[in-house]
Amino acid sequence: MQAKRIRIAVDIGGTFTDLECVDEADGTTQSFKSPTTPDDPSLGLMNAIKGAAARFGFALSDVGLLMHGTTIATNAVLTRNLPEGALITTAGFEDVLEIGRHARKEIYRLKPEPPAVLVPRRRRFGVVERIGPVGEVLTALDAASVEAAIDRVAASGASVCAIALLNGFTNPAHEIAIRDRLLARLPDLAVSCSHEVSPEIREFERTSTTVLNALLIPVVRRYIDALLARIAAEGLTAPLYLVQSNGGATTPRAAGEAPVKLLLSGPSGGVLAAEGVARQLGFPNVVGVDMGGTSYDVAVIREGRRAVVAQGDIDGLPVRVPMVDMRTIGAGGGSIASLDASGRLQVGPRSAGARPGPVCYGRGGTEPTVTDVNLILGRLDPVTFLGGEFALDLDGARAALDTRIAGPLGLDRDRAAAGILAVVVAKLAGAIKLSLFERGLDPRDFALMSFGGAGGLHAVEVAEELGMTTVIFPKDPSTFSAHGILQSDIVHDLARTRVLPLKAGAAPAFAALAGELLAEGEALLAADGLPTEQRRLELAADLRYRGQAFELLVPLDEVPLDDAALARLCERFHAAHRQRFSFDDPDETVELVTLRLAAVGLLGGTASAQAPAAGAPAARRERAVHLGGGWTSAPVYEQAGLGAGASVEGPAIVEQAYTTLIIPAGWRLAVRPSGDLVATRETLP
Amino acid sequence: MSQLGSKVDPVLLEIVSHALVSAAEEMSITVWRTSRSTTVRELLDYSTAVFDGEGRNIAQAARMPVHLNSMELCLQEIIANHLPLERWREGDVVVTNDPYCGGQHLPDFLAFKPVFVEGRRIAITCVLIHHVDVGGGAAGGYNAHAVEIFQEGLRLPPVKIVREGEMQDDLFATILQNVREPETFRGDFLSQIAALEVGARAMRQLAARYGVETLREVGQALLDHSETAMRAALNALPDGVYQAEDFVDGDGMDAGQKRIAVTLTIAGDSLTVDFKGSSPQARGPINATMATTRSAVYYAVIAASGIEATANSGCYRPITVSAPDGLLVSAQFPAPVSMRMLTGHRIATAVLKAFAEAIPERIPASYYGVTFNHAVNIRHADGRRQVYFDAEIGGWGGHPEADGPSGLSAGFHNGQNTPIEMIEAIFPLRFTHYGFLPGSGGAGKMRGGLGLVREWRFIAEHGLLNASFDAFASQPYGLAGGEPGRGGRLSLIRDGQVTALPAKTIGCVLKAGDIVRMETPGGGGHGDPRERDPAAIAADRADGYVIAGGAD
Repeated sequence: MQAKRIRIAVDIGGTFTDLECVDEADGTTQSFKSPTTPDDPSLGLMNAIKGAAARFGFALSDVGLLMHGTTIATNAVLTRNLPEGALITTAGFEDVLEIGRHARKEIYRLKPEPPAVLVPRRRRFGVVERIGPVGEVLTALDAASVEAAIDRVAASGASVCAIALLNGFTNPAHEIAIRDRLLARLPDLAVSCSHEVSPEIREFERTSTTVLNALLIPVVRRYIDALLARIAAEGLTAPLYLVQSNGGATTPRAAGEAPVKLLLSGPSGGVLAAEGVARQLGFPNVVGVDMGGTSYDVAVIREGRRAVVAQGDIDGLPVRVPMVDMRTIGAGGGSIASLDASGRLQVGPRSAGARPGPVCYGRGGTEPTVTDVNLILGRLDPVTFLGGEFALDLDGARAALDTRIAGPLGLDRDRAAAGILAVVVAKLAGAIKLSLFERGLDPRDFALMSFGGAGGLHAVEVAEELGMTTVIFPKDPSTFSAHGILQSDIVHDLARTRVLPLKAGAAPAFAALAGELLAEGEALLAADGLPTEQRRLELAADLRYRGQAFELLVPLDEVPLDDAALARLCERFHAAHRQRFSFDDPDETVELVTLRLAAVGLLGGTASAQAPAAGAPAARRERAVHLGGGWTSAPVYEQAGLGAGASVEGPAIVEQAYTTLIIPAGWRLAVRPSGDLVATRETLP
Repeated sequence: MSQLGSKVDPVLLEIVSHALVSAAEEMSITVWRTSRSTTVRELLDYSTAVFDGEGRNIAQAARMPVHLNSMELCLQEIIANHLPLERWREGDVVVTNDPYCGGQHLPDFLAFKPVFVEGRRIAITCVLIHHVDVGGGAAGGYNAHAVEIFQEGLRLPPVKIVREGEMQDDLFATILQNVREPETFRGDFLSQIAALEVGARAMRQLAARYGVETLREVGQALLDHSETAMRAALNALPDGVYQAEDFVDGDGMDAGQKRIAVTLTIAGDSLTVDFKGSSPQARGPINATMATTRSAVYYAVIAASGIEATANSGCYRPITVSAPDGLLVSAQFPAPVSMRMLTGHRIATAVLKAFAEAIPERIPASYYGVTFNHAVNIRHADGRRQVYFDAEIGGWGGHPEADGPSGLSAGFHNGQNTPIEMIEAIFPLRFTHYGFLPGSGGAGKMRGGLGLVREWRFIAEHGLLNASFDAFASQPYGLAGGEPGRGGRLSLIRDGQVTALPAKTIGCVLKAGDIVRMETPGGGGHGDPRERDPAAIAADRADGYVIAGGAD
């Protein structure tokens, strides 16, 4: 163990590659940043590892585990940088992928949005076969039609092929038979089957997810192969794990087969970290908010656990695999303030992005953004911003605000700037409020945890707006996702869909289904090389009242699965239904739709590190800042100078390397032994 | 840029406006969380809104345009002719479903609650829910045989179901006694009342924080801003008188198409929409009251004008809608109205067609024209009964700059389809085909989107098929030389024999093994087909969107 004591997590973002490592010998965690190398991200990853090794004094041979969060799959989808694929379906249902679910997003729009079809009709091929809703074969698989479809796949020039048959999740026999013939004749083709990628009811979502998976296989495999080769060439022998959308880690081989599970890899690191910090600090109920340049992600952690949902979407495409539950609105540092046709002030969702960026970056931006306004109001320091990498153009920001907003509205500059921030705070608070409201929860029962580059400027004001009295600022917000990835465990999500009424006598069928899942989960964890004591198998069921078309996820934690156990499961469903929907119906039949298993391989997490204790904090200097309606002089602290036990009273500004925290009057900021900062409200309104 | 002489602080305006929309959203979430029926929970057939103290709509939760644009009409009708505002007390809830009192059809119940602060009425909250049943001649309220509204179900004038906090149990019991699924109705109705209070609470908090007077001024300013935006948009349109017509197939009783004639007068920053020349009201239930007609007009005008302002009643101020009494679009008591959506769609497409005369560069050809609502009453061999209800849609019209999308929801309706696998897991139907209908999109420089084929085999012992379809004969129009989209069809295939069924099919008997096939209309084409880009023609052929050898 002594030789392999370093565990490393790397998160590759658009600008920086973030690294966090822990020395298992003493629990020390360190973080490191280096530039991302967009052409070959594995180069930047290796640079970060070598940089950290040099700075923190370990050898590459000391590294025992390497965990990695990647946006490679996400970027490929967002830019549609995907290969040409083919799709094989049940004959007569080739268009399901393109029909989708009918509903449109902008209800008054007359000009069609460009279609987002992943595989065009000319490369969608039907085969004669039909499986029924409980797995019965209604029409046998017609061998001639399979060969004809394969001829057309070959002629189409597609490099990948998805197979998604109607009801294919209830009986995989036909999908498997087609795949076998396909690979026998076209061995170089990458193939995905719907019963493996997303074995769940709802043909459009399953087909779309399977197609996306197939299209991502070459992209992700190419990346992983390059990464593994580079790691090996540098003499790093530690096993590599990739973080998935559900927050769990997986092996490179599994990621190469199910790349669609990597789509939310990046943001899930932040939520994992929030969960870890919340647990360490003893806050069971936390709303984690990540505010960057263009978006604001809200995730709810309740009773110490992140919420996972069965489906998410990326760029309007449904992705039916388990992922961390998050609400995103278009509000960030780059959000543009403008006036609409009737003269009303709008902030976002339009964003200046990284290019041209805010006016003050001096890269050609002309419309004032939230970052410009923070600069004008003294909340950002034009000299130390982003570690002082480049000077900010304060005059340019002022001129843009004056001519585009303040002048037309007849407001003075400060009033216009403070107004834009007030609108932003109202929007952020609104997003949090609705995230909690739809779960029947009250913001006052939660602490706010803020991370991401722009969050610290607004977090306390957002909390005030919501009546929250605690705001947590993690000590390393700029490498927060990497910190979360370090906490990750291996998670295999397995599922079987079968609509099964849970009446007396249902237990044998239910137990058989669970048995299949458990055996498969054990086998996967064994293949990962995990000993029995590091395996945890968590069953849960998607249940509903008969006739409903949406389900509630209810955990299942007892064996044997007899009728009595199922009756208790139904009881828990009634209770969950009451909590979520305010009523239940104990006389109605409860039915199973999907049985799920999370097969977890425990990797150990990290122990809490201790920050050095310090004496009374000393303010580096004072700065004029516009707070609470007027200018005031506030002390500016550097986070590095605030040791454990230190506390400062608002108004104050705390600068971290890549973020700034604004602490208004009435709040006190204290440094916990872990080094994390916690602001609490001193005076209640 | 237009400037108002408004004294409201522009920052406060945005913050309070955001809070008002949040109040409507919280009401919406409450309905979803606490209601019982699949209509509400899956089809999301409900809407919520906030009104100022005088009953003017100031905030909406984005949902169905058909609902949102009609709530204020109902409230104003109640105030003007039934329950003047001075009779609304704190703790009251007023409810109605009467199409002849500003409603649209009987299943839609509108409930209103006044909000008071220190004795002053500061707001009215509203929740509209489509309820599963309202009694009458057919389950769900769609009685295709109805020739007067009495056959369509229970009709409730504006009444106080809650009086100063006291639920009127005798009245509620009377309602429940007259509907087919009283437990579901009761659950949805109580959810409706609970959501009204959620909105009222949010409004009281806003008043406490910002003051009653500020709240009133903000409401006023929001309406003024939307009015300004709408007037600016209308001002940018060329003045003139523009006429158009569109058709519905009929009411299933009397032969012949029904005509919707529209005259659009754009004069400066105002717009008049008149329906003189439209067909008289029909005997069967395809009639629209003025509430439906106005709602369809508002949808079309907001869509055509392309304004980016918040939709609220300020947008409606520059618009005058008129029609002589007793037409298909201005039906008078006691005409039946349950299928008013069908006519409403064609009111919207007729208005858009008139706009195409004024702003041809912005208006697409007609979409599929009607939502294909259908239902099967199923009886299994063991005597068990089920009701299967579903809706299908078709293709969009070609747009001056783009082909129409295929199989996408359009117009003042916006629904989701139900997954086939979900239907097969619950109902005795086995699908044999679900896909695009090649060649159904109208030819044009920009092609119309394709309609859909939806075909299934019935496998239970006995079924009765009901369909309220249209746009079989009345094809979706093309524009600028584009051809119309193909009309819809419905057929029964029994033992290999194909029988065409009428658009309004009532109680067609199904036996095990029968196949039902519906074909929905494609959208109209836009522009001369001969001008179509050869690359687009080649792509259409490669993808099989057109029939080989057909006109393209």
